[in-house]
Amino acid sequence: MVLQQLSNGLTLGMVYALIAVGYSLVFGILRLVNFSHGSVYAFGAHMAMLFVSMQFGIIPAFILSIVLTGILGIAIDKMALAPLRAKKSKGIAALITTIGISYIIQNVLMITFGSQTKFFPKLFDFGSIYIGGVAFNTTQICISGVSLMLLLILSCVIRYTKVGLAMRAVEQNQKAANLMGIDVNFVVTFTFFLGGASAAIAGTLISGYYQIVYPNMGFVAGLKAFSAAVLGGIGVLYGSIFGGLVVGISESFAAAYLGGSYRDAVAFLILIIVLLIKPTGLFGKKGITKV
Amino acid sequence: MRKLVGLILILMMVLTSFAGCQSSSKIKIAVAGPLTGDFAEYGTGFKNAVELMVEEWNKKGGVLGKQVEVVVFDDKNNGEEAATIAEKIVADKDIKAVIGHFASGVCMAASPKYQEAGLVEMSPSASHPDYTKEGEFIFRNNTVINVEAKVAVDLATKTLGKKKVGILSVKTDWGTKTAEITKTLVKDAGGEVVAHQEVVDGTIDFSPNITKLNSAGAEVVIVAAMYNSLAPFATQYKAVNPKIELVGFSNAYSQQLIDLAKGSAENIHFPTIFFHGSADPKVAEFVKAYKDKYGSSPSSLTAQAYDSAGMILQAIKNAGKADRTAIKDELYKMNYPGVTGATKFENKIGDAVKTFTMVKVQNGKFVEVK
Repeated sequence: MVLQQLSNGLTLGMVYALIAVGYSLVFGILRLVNFSHGSVYAFGAHMAMLFVSMQFGIIPAFILSIVLTGILGIAIDKMALAPLRAKKSKGIAALITTIGISYIIQNVLMITFGSQTKFFPKLFDFGSIYIGGVAFNTTQICISGVSLMLLLILSCVIRYTKVGLAMRAVEQNQKAANLMGIDVNFVVTFTFFLGGASAAIAGTLISGYYQIVYPNMGFVAGLKAFSAAVLGGIGVLYGSIFGGLVVGISESFAAAYLGGSYRDAVAFLILIIVLLIKPTGLFGKKGITKV
Repeated sequence: MRKLVGLILILMMVLTSFAGCQSSSKIKIAVAGPLTGDFAEYGTGFKNAVELMVEEWNKKGGVLGKQVEVVVFDDKNNGEEAATIAEKIVADKDIKAVIGHFASGVCMAASPKYQEAGLVEMSPSASHPDYTKEGEFIFRNNTVINVEAKVAVDLATKTLGKKKVGILSVKTDWGTKTAEITKTLVKDAGGEVVAHQEVVDGTIDFSPNITKLNSAGAEVVIVAAMYNSLAPFATQYKAVNPKIELVGFSNAYSQQLIDLAKGSAENIHFPTIFFHGSADPKVAEFVKAYKDKYGSSPSSLTAQAYDSAGMILQAIKNAGKADRTAIKDELYKMNYPGVTGATKFENKIGDAVKTFTMVKVQNGKFVEVK
């Protein structure tokens, strides 16, 4: 039973980690908490649902949704955030803008797809595997596996590619990076694309797991992923992954042992405690100027 | 100062003259329910059903020679919203009765207003025992939880023949009360409640609850939740334990449940007052008319809304005048033969007395359990 709850929590945690990475990426580059990320996640899930219902097949639908959601990420930056940066407005203005964008996306989803809960076909279902008397759901294993793989790919992109190097440079010092001939605008665009794409993957995985999609799905998931990102130290990739797992597992155990009404509270409780003890998060670097 | 007094006087005169305009001879029936949000399916059903009934009456020349008009309010299944809407409704003197408010908790937030103003509120869905205790103007065309829970427990322990019962309920007025009643009834029926899990409305991840229920050895789970919870719960549970039996309540009896849960909806049992596949010609006629107009099958609560509208119009006709209090008096005298069976209100209590049909999902369709 404990093992089973652990596996439930791990699955949830992996998906939170995927969403949290999106927060972390953007924060690392722009020092901006992108609150529209939760809605971008819902958008990704809806796109996947749309293409699946148009008989594209799961894999092409998945890819199309990733690309489109990535483009949405870029569009958000180009249309709403880049003009603010160009005017050198205060960080808080961009922050509030992202909250506004979040509502716009959510409402557009409601208008186009309706506000009711909709069906999403199941991804990876191969029954259950029994290991030592514990039934492991293959859907859970696949979701954890896919998330882990994607997080690894993302880490490799940032660590070993040229774009990744540029991203790290911009993260350290935007002005200096610019002077060294790095196209900062391209790096920002690329970051938003990665953020959107990872949100679309998370959205599709989660919808395939629960088999439902609805426009408000990003709100609570976004908040929890945000707390996961802060918990692990926002801006630090592996911190987000760790934070996601902590949030997912604590939620699963809270729901099982404390009752359904505490599941959402526990994640935030842990967050508050961690921040009291270590204000930069578990793996956070010192000296980050917060918005 | 004097100018201000003058202005106020003029304003008052203008306003009172408007008030005079309002008390025309129209007959309006209000429908209040969730038209947007997660419960939109139910509220839209209310609206469609009432409009269909009113249309049928209007075709025959209306009631008391007047055409009836339906006014629709969206309460988003939110108590505060419902209370505001109730204020609006009672203030419009042309509105003779209200059909609606969906969830018990929301109905109970609005009902004091209707009782105070002396306007009949008829909820097609509220089933919390305390709802009609508000006063004599508060009706429901639905049975109280106890009666329905008894049928649900019978389905679990007798029809399905399982003794180890798990309960999943939503944390709402209705859900908590239903779970409490179900627990006692299971014990009376010789069963055993092995686990009870409560979830917040809107939960989509049930895996911790399922792990608990499953390891407690539940053979059947009675689910006190709407279709939007029951559907993902069923899919997630059947992925873990395909042999689990599920029993729902009539408010989860909806085509949406099958659309959302697909194969996992198979063999879910429900008690329901209205069964759209019934052989009764009255029911068949209603289902056909509804399908022709709206393109979908009416659910149980939709049918109850249809009959609610019928009862109110009949009451106006019997009373011979469209008067708020007279409607209430006539309702207590009535024995209405509707699509959801014969309905009457006993002992001056607004609780409809009805009989249940048992249905289950088979091959993606609802069928009657013999």
